[in-house]
Amino acid sequence: MLETVTLMAALAAGADRVDLDAPLVGERTTVFRASAVHLGDGRVLDRGVVFVQDGVIREVGVGLEPPDGAHVVDHPGDLSPGLVALHGFEGGGGELVDTTRPILPKADAATAFDPDHPDFGRSLDCGITTVVLSPPATALCPGTTAVVKTSGGTVVRPRAQLVVGLSSTALKSNEFPTSFAGALAALSERLEEPTGAFRAAASGELGLLVKAGTRSQIQRALGFVVEHRLRGALYGSYWAEDLVGEIKASGLSVVCTPSDPGDDARWARSIAALSAAGVRLGFGLDAPGRHPHCLRFGAAVAARGGMTNEAALTALTGDAAAIAGVSDRLGRIDRGLDADLVLWSGDPLDLASEITAVYVDGQRVRGGER
Amino acid sequence: MSVNLSTDQRSDLDHPASNPESTKMKHLSRALALSCVAAAFAAAPAAAAGDGTIVLKVGKVITNAGAPIENGTIVIENGRIVDVGPDAAGRWDAPVREYPDLVAFPGFVEALTNRGMDRPNENVDVAPFLDVRDSIDPVNFYFEDCLRWGVTTINVQHGPGCVIGAQGHVVKPFGMTVEQMSVRPRSGIVMAASPKGGKSRATQAQALRRAFSGLRRYLEGVVQEKRDGLDYATREARYQGREPDEETARGRVMAGSGWKVEGLELVPRWEIDEKQEPLLRLVEGKVPAFIYCGSAMDVRVALEVATDNGFVDRTTLVLSSSCWKAADEIAAAGVPVILSATLTAIERDPVTGEEIETFVPGVFAKKGVEFALRSSNASTRSLWYQAAACIGHGMEREAALAAVTTAPARMLGLETRVGTLEKGKDGNVLLFSGDPLSVTSFCEFVFIEGEQRYDRSQDVRNTHLNTGAQPENTAPEEGAGEGDDAPDEDGDEDDEEKEDEDGEKD
Amino acid sequence: MSLAITITTVLVCAGDVEASSAPMTATGGQNLAVYADAVYTSTGKVIENGMVRVRDGKIRVVSKGEAGEGDVHVAAVTAGMIDLSGRISPSGDVEESNEITPHVRATDAIDFFSVSWARQLRSGVTTAMISPGDENVISGLCAVLKTGGPRTLSSRTLAADAALRGAFGSQPSRRNHAAFGRPTDFYSRRPTTRMGVEWEWRKAMYDAIAAAGDPARAFAGHERLMEVLRGELPLVVQAWTTQDIRTAVFLAEEMAAHVEGGVRLVIDAGAEAWKEPALLVRTKAAVILPPFDHDGRTSDGAFMAWNVAALLAEKGVPIALSSHNAGAAADRLAVQGAWARRGGLSFEDTLAAVTIAPARMVGVDERVGSIEVGKDGDLALWNGTPFEAGSRVVGVVLGGELVVDPRGEE
Repeated sequence: MLETVTLMAALAAGADRVDLDAPLVGERTTVFRASAVHLGDGRVLDRGVVFVQDGVIREVGVGLEPPDGAHVVDHPGDLSPGLVALHGFEGGGGELVDTTRPILPKADAATAFDPDHPDFGRSLDCGITTVVLSPPATALCPGTTAVVKTSGGTVVRPRAQLVVGLSSTALKSNEFPTSFAGALAALSERLEEPTGAFRAAASGELGLLVKAGTRSQIQRALGFVVEHRLRGALYGSYWAEDLVGEIKASGLSVVCTPSDPGDDARWARSIAALSAAGVRLGFGLDAPGRHPHCLRFGAAVAARGGMTNEAALTALTGDAAAIAGVSDRLGRIDRGLDADLVLWSGDPLDLASEITAVYVDGQRVRGGER
Repeated sequence: MSVNLSTDQRSDLDHPASNPESTKMKHLSRALALSCVAAAFAAAPAAAAGDGTIVLKVGKVITNAGAPIENGTIVIENGRIVDVGPDAAGRWDAPVREYPDLVAFPGFVEALTNRGMDRPNENVDVAPFLDVRDSIDPVNFYFEDCLRWGVTTINVQHGPGCVIGAQGHVVKPFGMTVEQMSVRPRSGIVMAASPKGGKSRATQAQALRRAFSGLRRYLEGVVQEKRDGLDYATREARYQGREPDEETARGRVMAGSGWKVEGLELVPRWEIDEKQEPLLRLVEGKVPAFIYCGSAMDVRVALEVATDNGFVDRTTLVLSSSCWKAADEIAAAGVPVILSATLTAIERDPVTGEEIETFVPGVFAKKGVEFALRSSNASTRSLWYQAAACIGHGMEREAALAAVTTAPARMLGLETRVGTLEKGKDGNVLLFSGDPLSVTSFCEFVFIEGEQRYDRSQDVRNTHLNTGAQPENTAPEEGAGEGDDAPDEDGDEDDEEKEDEDGEKD
Repeated sequence: MSLAITITTVLVCAGDVEASSAPMTATGGQNLAVYADAVYTSTGKVIENGMVRVRDGKIRVVSKGEAGEGDVHVAAVTAGMIDLSGRISPSGDVEESNEITPHVRATDAIDFFSVSWARQLRSGVTTAMISPGDENVISGLCAVLKTGGPRTLSSRTLAADAALRGAFGSQPSRRNHAAFGRPTDFYSRRPTTRMGVEWEWRKAMYDAIAAAGDPARAFAGHERLMEVLRGELPLVVQAWTTQDIRTAVFLAEEMAAHVEGGVRLVIDAGAEAWKEPALLVRTKAAVILPPFDHDGRTSDGAFMAWNVAALLAEKGVPIALSSHNAGAAADRLAVQGAWARRGGLSFEDTLAAVTIAPARMVGVDERVGSIEVGKDGDLALWNGTPFEAGSRVVGVVLGGELVVDPRGEE
């Protein structure tokens, strides 16, 4: 498994692996024509056209002529970037956290997953092409997240965010830390270190993913982040409604906790309030515990609750990629980005729409011949 | 006093402790208590005539039945007040005590308590044949505390852990035996509409109804037996070759305003099962009923059971603080209520987390429901404090005082005997160092039926509490650990007062 | 002083008529006047038929005044009360992995969404000290906060790192056990007895002195302990019984021989302080009394006589009352004042024990603790003489804003 990861990591080079100005070779090009192309940044192209060659998006526009020999896919429905789930445990199989120590910043989720695990297939079935694997919040600092593609197991970005767990599951009864005060004191001390993940976080190089549940936990987390001038994202949106101003002021993005059909109005209200305040949002999941279709379902509920459809889709794609620090690779349909695309029978935020096909790195991995 | 058909009386010194630790505490504290009894809680030597005759001249008399009397005199003869006024005078040989700095006030009336007993709840669901007089412990610290805080009339009843509980007893907090303490025996039967431990509300309501339908079936059964000549007395007589006696053949027609069983006059009362007989008297309207309600929904069940069985006119509801929501129903039924010691009900909005406080006695006062207050487990929150706290919430002083004197007196059928300092009433007088409702006033003397039963200057335990001074020749106070009193029986009180943290979803 | 007030009164009276009929502006710049039959300033002065005017969050005028139609008019006004041992959020949050944690801050664990804040505020307590729990020997740093206002640390903090908290007695040793054989978790450790607790204290203090001289011996929070020894940071210790109070006092005296300055000792929950008041006088210690109990039995086997407050006041020991965040209204700080009165404490001393005395103990008396011009606009409004069983706090002004309106009562 380690070898697979190394191989995949080797493929995960930057966007400059391709010369975007070189002429297109028709035989290696796939052209997508759809009635609506959602670019992942809020814009939609009516009857848009996308050229893909060797797994990379080469052109995006309207009324473009396909090069000769290109394989053309005419799709009567919508085209969007592959969905990005900002939190998940796919393929981890319980190996994503080590409980021997409360603070283990060197542990990286990229080393702890099985790329062939059926969890990824299920996520792919729901249009999720990228997931941020995260250690759970059962320790104060359980390690770092990794951005992983659900097909092929490519590690797009290892050590993507430093996870800090500030919910009550991080506290223990007979081990350190037994209190939030002690936990924060220890973290403050670690941020003084000259090297390592904490140094990177303190300098702003490495973003945090702070997990907090209740209002007081969120408030505490925000205070900590502001005090140490850290950046990153907050994972915990249910109670955010009461703290929108403070969240905005902290500069953190928010990864929305997954939704359940049984959730009350507060879940959607908090997200709508954050969206209205201009906080960058993404959606998290905890597959395989929750079925991956909850990602799109949650976004649709949020859209019904006050967030616009396009804002919700952006949170699933472009903004999510930005939060994960991989906007140079995926999340939008733009020149030079990976061709991770989903073809829908209708608007992606319409729960009645079905997935017609899914492409990862330009390869069709789901869907029939078209 | 009617014959008690149940168990023999036991001497209070023989009664079993519920655990060795409390026995030990009782022995240690008893040493202290008995020395107190000797000093503070007995009749004052020589000065009193010993027959409840005394004349008290005090700085102020608050009669609780009109304007206070400055420099007034209270004349008590044979335990009863014969005169109250600025110029009242007693018999030529009556002892006179002068306290120009003290304020007289009638003894407080505790409408209902579960304290002062061995165990306030019985395992058996339906136990009206039990009587608290078998359970009252005259040396229990509760009665000593009652004297300290001026509570001179106490309705001791079983607790709410029952379907139908025992018969109660109104006592005064002085005496070495229950008979000496007795003011009114058989002062009522308790019932609970709130579920006993282990039952749901539905099964509790059903058990209550079944008790009465069971009574009815039983009575119909004995009447039928009599008619068929199959009852025990008749069979026994026939066996002996004689007809049943004329004089024993007559019973009494069933009384009351509820359902009736025809032909009950055929059955002599003494033939009726002693377990059912108290319920029969209840249904006939002869005995007061006290029904515990733990929440507003219990009120409906309580009133229904009382109405269906003909004793709603004798019913008093004993409420926990959340029952204020049923105040309209209670007002419509016209029954009086005894409120819990928790005067403020606190509810939390589960969404916003905001707390809403409701002053419970205020709700009932506004709806015109007659109410009495209860003291709490912690004796500092005794009746004087509860009345003062009501005034703090805006109640008129007269209304607050009534809730701890005349209203409970009326609920216990003792309105002609206690609650005010007026001619004809019992000589239960408290002498305070200041206004009875002021926190800096102490109850200096307590007279019960004209006899001095408490003198604070001799109260060793009170001195110890106030100054830490220990009297000579007494064992040192036990350190940490549970106190002297009976276990906590006002279960719902403490639950409501418990601190609760917000339960946010994590 | 009185001349100044007279002048102010004269000036104010002229403008008073307009001011009282002017509508109150919304938050910020709110101009509020409160009238009372008696204004108890906590400075020794009582103003009958008085008025307190607050503006922009501060007290601006204290004088006589006539209430008009619709004005806030109550029986009595006192300064907002101060509870140094209210034990509201965080309750019980303490880092138990180490018995000595002088660097840990209680405010890092605070929960502004707890209902306790609103309860305290409603009952007239406007300032509270937040302390870590007493499961540790030295548990960390306390802060003094207002009980209302925006739910942020920055807007509520009156004094950060106001005192160092620790405990004597049995509570710090309760969860520990001897490690017979293999230790099972970090509770297999010293101290398991009162002696062990005292030993930990002494060791921590000597270690701090050593660390001051040798950086290689530094440990987290050692500077705080030095500040305590020099008397720069007050030390608040829980000591219920007389033996624990003695231990604290003797230790403080011992350390005074090694470090210039002398510990500023505050005994919290000093239930048995009535037994040996001379010790407290000698060390100039202050005492925060726990809630009164109906039979005198408090925690850790301590017996608290009801005259403890009066006795200590008589001996000149500074005292404060506290409520330990009792849930029922009947046991909150105002009622503790009533019980102190019952025990013989004078009215003036009772008022001081819930206002200016606790303010002085933690060094916030420049801002709160009395009704004086320039201090924060925190007031408790009563419907009767304070600290009486029949009186209650019916209104509260916090930071110049009427957060509980007495006119809302039916």
